[in-house]
Amino acid sequence: MTTATDSTRTIVTGSKAPLPIRRAGSRNREQLISWAFLAPFLIAFVLFLAWPIVHGIILSFTDQSLTGAGGAFVGAANYAEALADPVMWRSMGNTVWFTLLSTVPLVVIALLMAALVDRGIPGQWLWRLSFFMPYLLASTVISQIWVWIFNPQIGAANNILKAFGLEPLAWLQNPDTNMLSIVIATVWWTVGFNFLLYLAAMQNIPPQQYEAASLDGAGPWRQFWSITLPQLGPATVLILILQILASLKLFDQAYQMLGGVASDTTRSIVQYIYEAGFVSYRFGYSAAISYVFFALIVIIGVAQALISRRRKESQL
Amino acid sequence: MTPPLDMSRRQFLTAASVTAAAALLAGCTPGTVPGSNTTTLQFWHLLSGGDGVTMSQLLDTANSAQSAYRIRPTVLAWGTPYYTKLAMAGAGGRAPDVAIMHATRTVGWAPGGLLDTWDLDRLASLGVDSTKFPKPIWEKGFVGENMYSIALDAHPFVAMFNTDICDAAGVLDSDGRLIETSSPDEFVDQLRTIGGQAEGHALSYGYLGDGAQMWRLFYTFYSQHGGAMELPPGGKAVIDKDAAVESLSLMRTLLDGEIALAQADYGSAVAEFATGKSGMLFTGVWELRTMQSAGIPFDATMIPTLYGTPAVYADSHSFVLPHQTSADEKKRDLTYQFVADMLKGSFGWAEAGHIPAFLPVTESPEYDDLIPQAHYAEAAQHVVYDPTAWFTGSGSNFQGEFGAAVQGVLLSGDDPAAAIDRFEARVNTLLSQPNPADPEGTFAS
Repeated sequence: MTTATDSTRTIVTGSKAPLPIRRAGSRNREQLISWAFLAPFLIAFVLFLAWPIVHGIILSFTDQSLTGAGGAFVGAANYAEALADPVMWRSMGNTVWFTLLSTVPLVVIALLMAALVDRGIPGQWLWRLSFFMPYLLASTVISQIWVWIFNPQIGAANNILKAFGLEPLAWLQNPDTNMLSIVIATVWWTVGFNFLLYLAAMQNIPPQQYEAASLDGAGPWRQFWSITLPQLGPATVLILILQILASLKLFDQAYQMLGGVASDTTRSIVQYIYEAGFVSYRFGYSAAISYVFFALIVIIGVAQALISRRRKESQL
Repeated sequence: MTPPLDMSRRQFLTAASVTAAAALLAGCTPGTVPGSNTTTLQFWHLLSGGDGVTMSQLLDTANSAQSAYRIRPTVLAWGTPYYTKLAMAGAGGRAPDVAIMHATRTVGWAPGGLLDTWDLDRLASLGVDSTKFPKPIWEKGFVGENMYSIALDAHPFVAMFNTDICDAAGVLDSDGRLIETSSPDEFVDQLRTIGGQAEGHALSYGYLGDGAQMWRLFYTFYSQHGGAMELPPGGKAVIDKDAAVESLSLMRTLLDGEIALAQADYGSAVAEFATGKSGMLFTGVWELRTMQSAGIPFDATMIPTLYGTPAVYADSHSFVLPHQTSADEKKRDLTYQFVADMLKGSFGWAEAGHIPAFLPVTESPEYDDLIPQAHYAEAAQHVVYDPTAWFTGSGSNFQGEFGAAVQGVLLSGDDPAAAIDRFEARVNTLLSQPNPADPEGTFAS
């Protein structure tokens, strides 16, 4: 280090022309230093991201068990089993179903909330805070809260139903309602993030446009449809992508709210990967399912890229 | 000369971290405590809550009674998290010296070499042999010819009843015990009588979203028909359909909204009974402490034999030797000593509700005075465990699969026969898969 400082000082003052060799040495040295700064990230990246991805592919072609047994090459047997496994398809279906069920309200409700706050209902800061606050909670916390709300005997949800003279529901335990319950909890939990993105986008719309529109006689609805919504296009695309990716990762809140119990109607693909690996100890099979899931995400990603490219082309 | 403390900041930091690392490493070093002959034994278990408190008292007693070994317990979260970690420790060959496992889980583990076997002669020399255990509990420790687990207890599913409510209903005999019923109809009649005196329901039974709870009661009734399910590896499940449908139908009869609440989860059932609102509770013995601290007048008994053969669902907390690549013989000796000490001192374990497996404890006069534990001690002779397969047992997915298949019957009156078919299909899929602890069948006998 001290030498490095010395050499820099030499260059800066320029009192002596540094020798070419010395300059090359200092450049190497600078490179070394920049690598040193990169190293902490690079090591973590290779150890915890790059290598596991490669290792996962290798694992998926073996019968490796968590217990250390197995490990023999089994070809594509795991993939063949996964593609023929009804539980795998059911779980994949559940994940996709959850993504559909959750993404729509998470976009629409966020937009409505942002529009309300942006239109300047009194106490804007309070709304902004309270809409965003749940997002700051850990999944464990929201799971606990909603397990109580959905409690069949003493939960708030059933009290509300009773107030309207409706039959109480076993929200989380009934296979007909448990996925819906998880969607409700998830929307409450994460809608704040999309709300904030929408609000920021709305506040970026130049006020002159509204001014001009109102001079031309456009009412609030007209302004919303013709100015606000079109200007939110890019924000909506971003929110949709982020939301679909987040919803596909469904695991923690569902797992925690159901107490880790496998239910045919809520088991997500991530939970099935976990169960195959850590409950049934089949690492190889678990890895194979995760790559099947990866393929699904790639398909969605490519489709999304194609759609947004077409959008851009049609805009030109 | 540099004075000793005049070091640069970097030197100081280096020195400090080296010292800290050395201290940490020293802390991790297992084995002998410096300056004495006491050997530290690593012991993993999954008992928390009331059970955990009782266990640590037992360990304190064991530790202070001798100076040859000292137990260092590690408590991990019950269920999958525990078994995952124990399996990985065994796979790495650096497992703890001794651990607790559910007896039902050893079947999946033993063939993969994750467990070492218990030496029967060595046990016998410490006074631990087959004559000191109820037959079904001792035999559960074996996989093939070898013994892999020694039961500390049996923790069956039992019926607790509120003595005030049952007395008022006139269903207690002169000794204050529940009058025996021997058929589903008699039992349902008895419950209806109890229901007349209870503020809430006659029976509390929580099952919602809890496959284990559904399985415990179901398998109790099923086994009372006189047979066990058989799950041959690679074959098809052998399930007595009639017995299964009948058992499931009885459960549905009980959950009619009058005898018992139609939709209750585990917690609300325990709460209903603990607040004195219901006459009877189907639960595991591990809830005994809860009821004692709730201060309600209650007693407990075996679940009545309604189909001819006395049988109750149970599991056992058992001692196992997780596989060590190079086991230290001295430590092994002390581990045998420790297990023998724990079994002989397991009277304290009964206070947590569990039935000690060691007969000299349950046959002692003190145990007869332990009420209500003594009133269900006979259950130890009639325990039935999960059907034997690598995927069954406490904290496994099997009980969850059962719950997923049959909950609709209990909750919304689906067809029991169709539910049993669904369950059978799922079990057959699991049977067709290899035991993941031994995927190539290397250890299979």
